[in-house]
Amino acid sequence: MKRVFYLDGQTVPFTSGQNVLEAAIAAGMARQIPYFCYHPALGSLGACRQCAVKIYPHDDKHPPRVTMACLLPASDNLQLATVDKEVHTEHREIIELLMLNHPLDCPVCDEGGQCHLQDMTVQTGHAVRRYSGPKRTYHDQDLGPLVYQEMNRCITCYRCVRFYQDTAQGDDFGVFGSRDRVYFGRLEDGPLESPFSGNLVEVCPTGVFTDKVFRHDYARVWDLQQGPSVCPHCAVGCNTMPGARLGTLRRVRARHHPEINPHFLCDRGRYGFRYVTAAERPVQARLHGARSRQDVVLRQVAMRLQEGRSGFLGSPREDVQSNLALFALADCLHAPFAALSSPWMEALAQQCMALPQAPTLSDVETADHLIVMGDLGGVAPMAELAVRQALRNGAQLTVLASQPTPLAEAGDYRPTRPSALPDLITGLAEDVCLQGSRRPVILAAAETLGPAGVHALRKTLARLPANARAGVFQNSPNLFGAAYFAVDGHTARLQHALRQRQIDHLLCLAADPLGSDWGAGTWRSLVPGLQGATVLDMVDTDTVRAAEAVLPTAAFPERDGFFINYEGRIQAFAQVYRREAPVLHPQENVNSFPAAAGGQMHPLGPPTPQYWLGRLAELLDIVKPWQERLAFYQHFLCPISPHPDSPGVLLDDALRARFEIAAAPAAAPVGTEDWELDLFHWYGGETLADAAAELQSLAPARGLRVSADISAPFATLSGPCGRLRLPVIPIVGMVAGVVALDQEGFAELGLYPGEAVQIQWEVAS
Amino acid sequence: MSAYRSFVQLGLGLWTTLRQIGRGASTISYPEEALKLPPRWRGRPALTRDPDGDERCVACQLCSAVCPTRCIELQAGEREDERRYPVSFRINFSRCIYCGFCEEACPTLAIQLLDEFAFSTEHHQDFIYEKEALLIDGTGKHPHYNFYRHAGVALHDKDKGQGSNESPPVNGRSNLP
Ligand code: SF4
Ligand code: SF4
Ligand code: SF4
Ligand code: SF4
Ligand code: FES
Repeated sequence: MKRVFYLDGQTVPFTSGQNVLEAAIAAGMARQIPYFCYHPALGSLGACRQCAVKIYPHDDKHPPRVTMACLLPASDNLQLATVDKEVHTEHREIIELLMLNHPLDCPVCDEGGQCHLQDMTVQTGHAVRRYSGPKRTYHDQDLGPLVYQEMNRCITCYRCVRFYQDTAQGDDFGVFGSRDRVYFGRLEDGPLESPFSGNLVEVCPTGVFTDKVFRHDYARVWDLQQGPSVCPHCAVGCNTMPGARLGTLRRVRARHHPEINPHFLCDRGRYGFRYVTAAERPVQARLHGARSRQDVVLRQVAMRLQEGRSGFLGSPREDVQSNLALFALADCLHAPFAALSSPWMEALAQQCMALPQAPTLSDVETADHLIVMGDLGGVAPMAELAVRQALRNGAQLTVLASQPTPLAEAGDYRPTRPSALPDLITGLAEDVCLQGSRRPVILAAAETLGPAGVHALRKTLARLPANARAGVFQNSPNLFGAAYFAVDGHTARLQHALRQRQIDHLLCLAADPLGSDWGAGTWRSLVPGLQGATVLDMVDTDTVRAAEAVLPTAAFPERDGFFINYEGRIQAFAQVYRREAPVLHPQENVNSFPAAAGGQMHPLGPPTPQYWLGRLAELLDIVKPWQERLAFYQHFLCPISPHPDSPGVLLDDALRARFEIAAAPAAAPVGTEDWELDLFHWYGGETLADAAAELQSLAPARGLRVSADISAPFATLSGPCGRLRLPVIPIVGMVAGVVALDQEGFAELGLYPGEAVQIQWEVAS
Repeated sequence: MSAYRSFVQLGLGLWTTLRQIGRGASTISYPEEALKLPPRWRGRPALTRDPDGDERCVACQLCSAVCPTRCIELQAGEREDERRYPVSFRINFSRCIYCGFCEEACPTLAIQLLDEFAFSTEHHQDFIYEKEALLIDGTGKHPHYNFYRHAGVALHDKDKGQGSNESPPVNGRSNLP
């Protein structure tokens, strides 16, 4: 039976547990009840007193009374009214009180046009200021490069502190002071430490917290071109809403996805978009490092391909169709192709693909027993946020990691060497605690687990009750899409062909084999056999700088496509804007659109990878077979293309099932007295986001993280592919015998997490 | 009967005409002679300066939002002291219909309609006026208003609490009642 109550004589449906305001908003009747402190993700507080309604009791004993809609549980046949003199008085007078000290800032306030306070003020009809006394003012704080503060505009709804302290469980932001002087900020000036600090901008209903990055390149929301997109910075695949104007991307906001990110984004997702506007971004075709005309570069690449000595390398950083298009081209030319840059990554991808259906983030929030392995928050921050919600709901959390990650501090931290993880995971099958819980969830950072660990996880899951779920996360958006091509030994075969000099040219799609991709060390050792590389990419990488030919590609908000996230969910993103010569930005004009070789300005931004590959197919006279193959693979992999506005569709189980036969990879044994490597991952770090200047200004210092009992200032690591000298960063609480290194370091050494490494400590002089 | 009435009316008409003789011409030879326009005349908009001589516009984009012909385009920028200003501001006068909505919407009294209403060029693109051509040196019709003296934001010459009608900043750390 449908449950309803009545608001001004209209029926409002509700579900149990909802309050009146929540139900009214869901029914599209928010116009009748103005509100401030209620937020769907933060709940009700009753702080602002704005959401008054009049309740008519069913009996005669109690007179009708005014109450707060957000604190009133919805119940059957409630009689409520807002068209009422007392209710109007309350609405009008509360907003007037809130506006008493409000500055005359709207013209210079970045919230203007998307301001909840503006909307509510107009809605309640408060148009004339009667109070003429002096207004209260505050000094503001410098909260770092991402969030801008203007405290004068505060209406003390407490949304910010409820988000920061309760939802994100950050501890460097809070509420200070008393009476009409309450202050929302940090104890001292300084950057906000939470990986979710950017959400303050969205939860604050006024202009106290605004987007500092957007501020420097501001446009009013009504002028923004917006469209549905998907975050390209990690495997979670949060839904985003980028906004652009005059051909430049200005900001990214969260877009509602009921199961992944109903309201929030991490800072990498919100501020990482600046790779699109980075000055170093390749936007013009290059040949031998110099800007050149498209057709010249294309002819050169086509000539290389015609020689028949080319290899093709795809990437989990690119979308499904681009990888497919590359695969189809390689197929037509009978050239070796690999989607991943190292055999280790290939094995890892296969094992991830073979895992049973992962839990959605909303499932994680309702888990009652969580086991987290590795630095989950560093790799996929929103997964950490989901774990924190589960913690708030009373879940039990065990963290198996070598470093005291922020999540480890919130749960039961069991210091663990990464090489011990596979055995520990196998042991979990007998864990009574896990067996007995209602909704156990295991989450892990994929690289820390390694192929052996993920394989052990699959075996363990098979032995656990059916309600146990597991998800592994990685920091590229389309590992599953690329894993589809990760057939046994493709990468090894490609590397072998290069080593044997069967090929001497590499066509890389958003891959960085000479830079920071996994296994880059091996590729670098193969450089002597390489006559030249062609790169299709949207950021400046080592490979782009070293390449013979560079074909710049459109950034993700500049085109359509699909990503497959950690659950195997195919999500579409739509083109939001077209990059154009930004006429109103003199400095952009100089940086991004210099005169081409022919002396002409290029009016449009870089095209998609499919366009480049199609042009190459044209020059090679294989358009028809290429298109046929492309269409066939696409139909095979994602027969139903989801709409960008839809929640996406899950990858067919049959497609994933074929990876179940992937052999159990053997992990190299590590002795107890060996130094062992683990991955250190900063929450803002990822190949694309690394080009986002504002975000990167917060990046922690590079170094080797070891337990605090090591006192050497520097250490030199040696691996099969190279040596690396790094400053030592002592970390209290880190497992002895483990050193944590960033991905670039691994690429340099040619090693992987959980492997042994030779270290020479430099003695302090 | 009707012939008689026609004659009378003819006569009246003639009398009206004859009465004007000697009163001088009421038309002027425009454009050689300048028009005397009332101060509230709506000609083309210009950007004015505040009493301190700084540009008034804060690039709030209200004028461009309200413009019915969408002929205003601007891009906001920030100065060193975080004062907002338009990096570029252009109006396409081949589309402007002198409706005055922009002037009405402008919260800083920056954009004001001048009395210039008839101008011609040979090319359409010459009607696109950039900021340099729009920004005039005076305060226009409002000699005293300075938006930033009333707003709550701080500037290089004005700290928090120094705006008009503001009390000095409170101590947000104090727990005293
Ligand atoms: S918070 Fe809203 S009402 Fe206040 S100045 Fe900003 S836009 Fe205007
Ligand atoms: S800063 Fe914003 S979110 Fe926080 S209490 Fe003030 S108005 Fe509310
Ligand atoms: S968690 Fe991953 S997908 Fe989500 S916003 Fe952050 S980086 Fe993007
Ligand atoms: S409305 Fe006024 S202050 Fe705002 S952009 Fe237009 S001219 Fe500038
Ligand atoms: S929304 Fe109900 S009191 Fe604030």
